Formats: sequence, C-alpha cells, structure tokens
Amino acid sequence: MNIIVCVKQIPDPETPSSSFKVDEAAKKVIPAQGIAPVVNPFDPQATEAALRLNEADGGGKVTVISLGAESARDAIKHALAMGADEGVLLNDPSFDGIDNFQTAVALAKAIQKVGEFDLILMGRSAADWDMGVVPSGVGQLLGVPVVSVAKAIEKNGGSVKVERVLDDGFQTVEAPLPAIVSVSNEFGEPRYPQLRQIMLAAKKTVQIWSAADIGLGAEETGAANRWLPLEALYVPKVESNVEIIEGDSPEEKARNLAQKLRAAKLI
Amino acid sequence: MARDFAADIADPIAREIVSNVGTWVDKEVKPQASEFEHADTYPDPLVKGMSDMGLFGIKIPEKYGGLDLSFECYAGVCIELARGWMSLAGIINTHVLVGYAISEYGTEAQKQAYLPRLVEPEIRCALSITEPDAGSDAQAIKTTARRDGDDYVINGQKMWVTNGHKAGVYLVMTKTDPAAEPRHKGITAFLVDHDVPGFIKGKKFEKLGYKGVETTELAFDDARVPATAVLGGKEGSGFQHIMSALEVGRINVSARGVGLAQSAFDDAIRYAQKRQAFGKPIIEHQAQQIRLAEMATKIRAARLLTLDAARKKDSGIRSDLDAGIAKLFSTEICQEVVLDALRIHGGVAYSKELPLERYYRDAPLMIIAEGTSDIQKIVIARSLVKDYPI
Repeated sequence: MNIIVCVKQIPDPETPSSSFKVDEAAKKVIPAQGIAPVVNPFDPQATEAALRLNEADGGGKVTVISLGAESARDAIKHALAMGADEGVLLNDPSFDGIDNFQTAVALAKAIQKVGEFDLILMGRSAADWDMGVVPSGVGQLLGVPVVSVAKAIEKNGGSVKVERVLDDGFQTVEAPLPAIVSVSNEFGEPRYPQLRQIMLAAKKTVQIWSAADIGLGAEETGAANRWLPLEALYVPKVESNVEIIEGDSPEEKARNLAQKLRAAKLI
Repeated sequence: MARDFAADIADPIAREIVSNVGTWVDKEVKPQASEFEHADTYPDPLVKGMSDMGLFGIKIPEKYGGLDLSFECYAGVCIELARGWMSLAGIINTHVLVGYAISEYGTEAQKQAYLPRLVEPEIRCALSITEPDAGSDAQAIKTTARRDGDDYVINGQKMWVTNGHKAGVYLVMTKTDPAAEPRHKGITAFLVDHDVPGFIKGKKFEKLGYKGVETTELAFDDARVPATAVLGGKEGSGFQHIMSALEVGRINVSARGVGLAQSAFDDAIRYAQKRQAFGKPIIEHQAQQIRLAEMATKIRAARLLTLDAARKKDSGIRSDLDAGIAKLFSTEICQEVVLDALRIHGGVAYSKELPLERYYRDAPLMIIAEGTSDIQKIVIARSLVKDYPI
C-alpha cells in the first residue's frame, strides 16, 4: 500500500513543570532551555502501524509528512530510521501560530501533492495541544472516511478492519480504502531504529515544501487567519488542600467524612 | 527528563545513534537493571535488544557486514549503556575488542571466518589474558602454546574472563617462546573456538558487582588448535596486538565510568530537590550545592576526555596516552561521584530498593579492569616521556 504517515515535533512532554513557561502576552509557549523537542509520542506508533501493514502486505511505500520548524526534520528522520521510505517537511514562516484546522488544510494539500495513497495514519493526538482533530479535518477535506483511536489495524482486501479503543471497551469497524486512521498507544510499542537504518535515513533526502509549493493561498495560512482565535494562554494554577477528618472512633470519622462529601455534593 | 547526553557527539549520525540508544536505555534497561543484577541473571532480553539494534556490529568493517562506525560513536553508545547498567557495556566490550583485533591484525581467512558471525551476533567474543599469577604484569603469563606439526597445543589456566561461558570464540594470550627476551616477543595470541577438545570452561566467580555477565576461569589441557588460529598468522606479535586492542577496551571502561557516574548524579540531583531537611529542599543547602557542582564538573571533564580519546583512536594514531588518561580519570571520579550520590541520599541509598547500592558495588570494577589505575599512570608516564625526548 501507499501509506502516508503524518508526524509532529512537540516540546518534550516530560519537561518538568518548573521548566515550562508561557508568554501570556504573545500567547506562546517558551521552549524549555536545554530540552530538545521530541517526536509526538503517539506518532511512532502510526509509523509502526504503517510498517507492519506493508510488511504483512509484502511491500509498499511509506511517506512521512511533518509540518513544523526546520528542526521537525528530526521527527521525519526518526520515522525514516524506523523504515519509512520518503519524507516531506512543510516549512514556511506563515505556518507559525496556525491552528489545527489550518494544519489540516496544509496537510490535505500536501497529501494531494504527494499523489495516490491508500491509507493515511496519524497519532491519536499531539501531546502538546492534545486536541486530536487534525485526522478528522484532513478526512473531511479529502473526502475519505476517518477511524480514530485504533489499537489494531488489518488490511482486508480493499478496506481496513480497525479495532478502536472506547472508554468502556473496544469496537471493530471496517472502512473502505483510501481512509485515515489515527493510532492509539494501545497499538503496541514501536520498534527501535536499527543503527543501520539510522545511517541509511541520514542519507535520505527530506523534501521541503513551502506554503506556495502546496498551493496554499495567503488567506489560508498565517496566525491572523486562524479558524480558532486564541483568547488567552496561561499555566493553570493548581491548588490543593488537605483536611484531616476528626472523630473519636473510626466509625465517627467515617460518618464525618461521608457528611463532608455529601455537603460538597460529591456523593 | 534530563540533558541531551548525545549533544557532545560531533558527527550527526553518531549523535542520532547515541540518542536512540539512550532512549532504549531509559525505556528498557533502567526499569529492570536492578532486578537482573540482584538475581545475577544474564540479561538475555536486553542483549537481544542490543543485538536487534545492531550494536554488536558497531565496529566490524562494512566489507564483513558490520557498520564500521567511529570510536566516538562507540564511546557514546557505551556511556549510554552504562548509564542504564554497567554490565551491558561490559558484555559488548570484549566482543568489540576482539572484533577490532581480528579486523586490524587477523589474516583474511580469519576475518572471513569470524567477522560476519560477530555482527548478528551468531557468536560472541571473550578476551583471555589474566592468570592466577599474572595480572598487571601481563607478560608474566605461563600459559603455553607448543608447536606440534600443523597445530599448536595449549596448556595453562586463565582467570577473570568476561563472557567466559557464553562466548563462541576466545582471543587467548599465550607464550610460544617462554625464554624470549624481551618477554613480549615470545607472546602469541590465538583465536580459540569454544568447542576445542581440552578447552575447559571453569567456575563462574561470585563478584561484588558487575553481575549478570559471567566472569570465569578457563583451563587448557592439551587443547589442540590449528596453526591458522594464530592471530595474524605470525608468532610473537600477540602482545602488541592485544595491547592495541586494549586501547579500545580502555575507551570502553572510561565510558562505563562516565555512564555510571552520570546515572548516580541524575538520581542525586533529583533527590536533592525533593528531600526536605531543616525546612527546605536539601539542594538549597550550600553543602549539597557544592557537592553537586563538583560531581557535575568531574563528569563533564570525564565525558570530554573519553570522547577525545575515542576521536584520537578514530584518527588512526596510537591513543594509549589519551585512552589511559581518560580511563584513569573517568573511573576514579566515578568512584567519587557514586559515593557523593550516596551521601546526598543518606540512609535510603543503603537500601536495595534504590539503584545507588548497585552503582556503589559496580564502580570499583572500573579502576581495576582493563589495567588498574596504577598501570594507567605507568602507561601515561611512559607515553609522556616519549613526547618529551631530551
């Protein structure tokens, strides 16, 4: 199959909260000093899914697309080191500060430029903004079915059978190809790149496409044209209080606790 | 979350490789290293992970199926392995060291016979020098190899052999001319397959640390090997070949010191920010700040010395001075840093629930293995004299 995998480079989610800073006036996250950005942790699972599907299918091609800064080349290189074939970086000053919907538009245009595809795979969400709407947006724009939060994917002739993760169980659905599937962490561990693959990936060229290269008009990109205006960005204040429930006996302590919880309408 | 440990690697591909190995170490090694270590169990799943990544072929020439990566990359990888568990960097050490000796000094037939099998690895390697009465004075070995027609017959006893039970091929240092003067001219190295009749794998030593990987005795009782087993095919060159290979081993052990010290420091600086004493986190006490600053400075210097020695080796020139300096410094500061990490943790470090006690037991190996600190000083001094002729 011709599979396209979309990956994103994000600030390291393991960054300690003490290093995490927001410029509230500029409504921007300030990258933590000395902590390199990483591949969105759900995305290697999307790459893994693509590789496994093509291995089971006896061949195919995996193209990786990322929208981001020049450093996002590293996220693409990681997927290439895992075994993907080609990489495209969407890089343009007008992409700075765009929202998820504009990202979906840009990705859809890039996918159309790549050409024929059977399947598009993405991580279930990006661990920075964690909205998980880009797969649906791209699906809407390309007019293909979208299946979200997959724990297992199997090609079944001209369709894919997908086991989805629900809050209270699992659901198996089937979608005709071409389709978009977002992959969840329940899919399983992605492979570690082999040293030889890392060396080969270093020799592969990552194409860089600008907004103009994918046919994006000035009105479609840029922070000024966000579909979703950002009103405010700030680090939430987390407060916690500890109250010791008094009582002369365990029974009385339990009774007092129950009364407190009832008064707080928690039970 | 920690600093980018690959940042000091100059070559971008090597940096990417070291970074990936570091990710593997954080996810796969650190969570289970102490369990394997306490049980003194050979870490088969971890060794398979190393093999799957291709680490065992890291220094094998491409012509024979390996990756032929730089010593800088190798040193970075060993630092990361030791950051997870020092024994893993030990398992790969003798393998790479013997592979290097074959690549550099072996005959073409030896290269073709062994090197492709070391990549997967179908077989692993062991190096056998030390004997009951010959440690630092390696030229005092008593194991002999006597020519008999087209064969040699080996007799003697060896000690402290890493991978001693699991290796497929052993690089064994012997005396083919016990009367030779100078003594090193009588020393010959042999590639001995594990299943040679008369080659006996002895007991496994119970050790203070460096667990998981077996360290054993070996014995040779009229073990007969063909003359083609002489490394490089020429008698009397064994000491030179093995000393050259030990430069690679010293880079490895130096890297182990850096990795282990880094791990102890990482634990200590996190703990110092959490642990409260006298009303504030202990990191706010000046004594701990000074201690941590000294630890970090030592590790930084050791890391750069290790990478510098590796780059010297990459340049193709003799690096015994640089490898000696790096090994001496890194392993000595490793002991100091680990002890300081224990001081910062206090009583809890004495518990087996934290890895500090493992670090403390592992650290002393490095000031002994691949040449003690005293031997390093002699190597360094002799090299320096050559640099300052009068």
